[in-house]
Amino acid sequence: MRPVDATAETVPEAAPGVLALFRICVDPDAPARLAADADRYLADLGLGPSDRAALLATGPRRLVTYRRLVHNRLRNATRGLMPRTVARRGDAAFGADFDGFMAERGPKSPYLRDVPGEFLAWVAPRWADAPDVPPYLAQLGRYELLDYEVANEPSGGEPHTGRPLALDRPLRVDGSVRLARFDYGFHRLPRNPKDRTVPEQADTPLLVYRDRTAYKARYLLLSSFGWELMRRIVEDGSAVEPALREACAALGRPLDDHHLAVAAELFADLEGRGVLLGAR
Amino acid sequence: MERPHGPTGVGLGLRSRYLERVAEGALEGVVDFLEISPENFMHRGGRSHALLERIADRHPILSHGLMLSLGGTGPFDPAYLDTLRDFLSRTGSPWHSDHLCFSGLEGTLLHDLLPVPFSTASARHVAERVMRVRDHLGRPMAVENISWYAHGGASDRDEAEFIAEVCGRADCGLLLDVNNCWVNAKNHGTDVMDFLSKVPLDRVIQIHVAGHERYDDDLYVDTHGARAEPRVHELLAWVVERTGPVPVLLERDNNLPPLEELVDELAGIRATYEAAIARHRQRSIHTEHTSHATR
Repeated sequence: MRPVDATAETVPEAAPGVLALFRICVDPDAPARLAADADRYLADLGLGPSDRAALLATGPRRLVTYRRLVHNRLRNATRGLMPRTVARRGDAAFGADFDGFMAERGPKSPYLRDVPGEFLAWVAPRWADAPDVPPYLAQLGRYELLDYEVANEPSGGEPHTGRPLALDRPLRVDGSVRLARFDYGFHRLPRNPKDRTVPEQADTPLLVYRDRTAYKARYLLLSSFGWELMRRIVEDGSAVEPALREACAALGRPLDDHHLAVAAELFADLEGRGVLLGAR
Repeated sequence: MERPHGPTGVGLGLRSRYLERVAEGALEGVVDFLEISPENFMHRGGRSHALLERIADRHPILSHGLMLSLGGTGPFDPAYLDTLRDFLSRTGSPWHSDHLCFSGLEGTLLHDLLPVPFSTASARHVAERVMRVRDHLGRPMAVENISWYAHGGASDRDEAEFIAEVCGRADCGLLLDVNNCWVNAKNHGTDVMDFLSKVPLDRVIQIHVAGHERYDDDLYVDTHGARAEPRVHELLAWVVERTGPVPVLLERDNNLPPLEELVDELAGIRATYEAAIARHRQRSIHTEHTSHATR
């Protein structure tokens, strides 16, 4: 028998009851409308009499329960990976934000652990325009997610190439490495979600990688030169010499012995940490 | 359907909190297998990945997924299915199971288990999707009965008949969750023994055992957050007496206790299971004798 294509479309429409349950889970007005006139609401969702009777057989509260179960699971996953961000937003405002996310976009990834990132990507531009949201909050969310992202990145732990660093070659970098730049010194904030210390505004260029033995994310605060250099090495895949020249040019500095010494020291440190893995 | 070859006995659903200790051998001699949710490990490196490799060297692994949305619509995500297929090959799970429900629509995933109508049209639809996944994964599939708190639409049969129809049409296995049938019976006032007498026990390739909690005044929710009730043990025994050796799994996802408490609960489940297996053997002998006597 020829295997069927699992990814081909077969049934274009969901059963009406299934579609209604889905809508109840994403529609922010669902609880109020079910409480006011459940039968009318289900009719507005396109359900005929038999489907309405079926869904209401256990009472409208059960339909709201499904919504609560779905939202609680997703919100808890988000709170789990961004505890300080969610706590600083406050339960009520976070709940309203999440309702908006569910109504307008909702999770798309099959992995529950991706939901916090999906939510943050949706909410960040909205927070940027909201007067009641601290200006640093979206960046704090990104900073918190980075920890989980790097610790669980599928790549990482690759072997050393066996070739020494060379000016004319690009470098192999551990697959877990991320470069992230923040406008605040979040690394100085207490980790307690109840703490409300306002983060210090400071340019904070970070190289984050996964420790090969403890499997934890480690953070290195880079200089502006280190940032420019590593951005070219990691993100552009540049060979060392052009990366050095471009990094100095970006900062309006000469490529002199001082910068060569700084780069050599940085490379040696990163090689010792298993971040740089030799010349490619 | 011939029952696929795989582990039997008593196992535990592997959760992140216990990975380290299980990798160190804390469940050696305690469980016959472990069950994992592949979504918790797929596309993921670091600690979990490293520990799972060590764990898979110690214990047989069964795979139980959350996100196929067999009652949903639209094409399956090919990247997800490909990753799942590779993951199953690596862990050696003899089959893959997921839930008889929908988890999302229109590309939005709710990450929960929602009911579908108990109708022929729905059974045909779900069965078609089960077969598609089975063919893509290249290994047997099983569907699990869920706890449901409201109907998923107008139905023309009861849940047990619906399950039998899906399994028959898809020629797939049944992962029978005896806690879910008990939760449904309590919530809907139905007869759990009537349910069990109608589901296709010859298709049961695995059993789930778990605890549930009161959510609202009139609702029990399958939280996997408490010990399994004595009645769940009775249902497990009734089923195993009729199926014979199968893998029986304890699920615990909330209010996670120290591992020692789960080991203690597993010992109780094993006692129930082994007593039921002994009765199954007696039944088989009795049936054989009766058969000889009537020839």
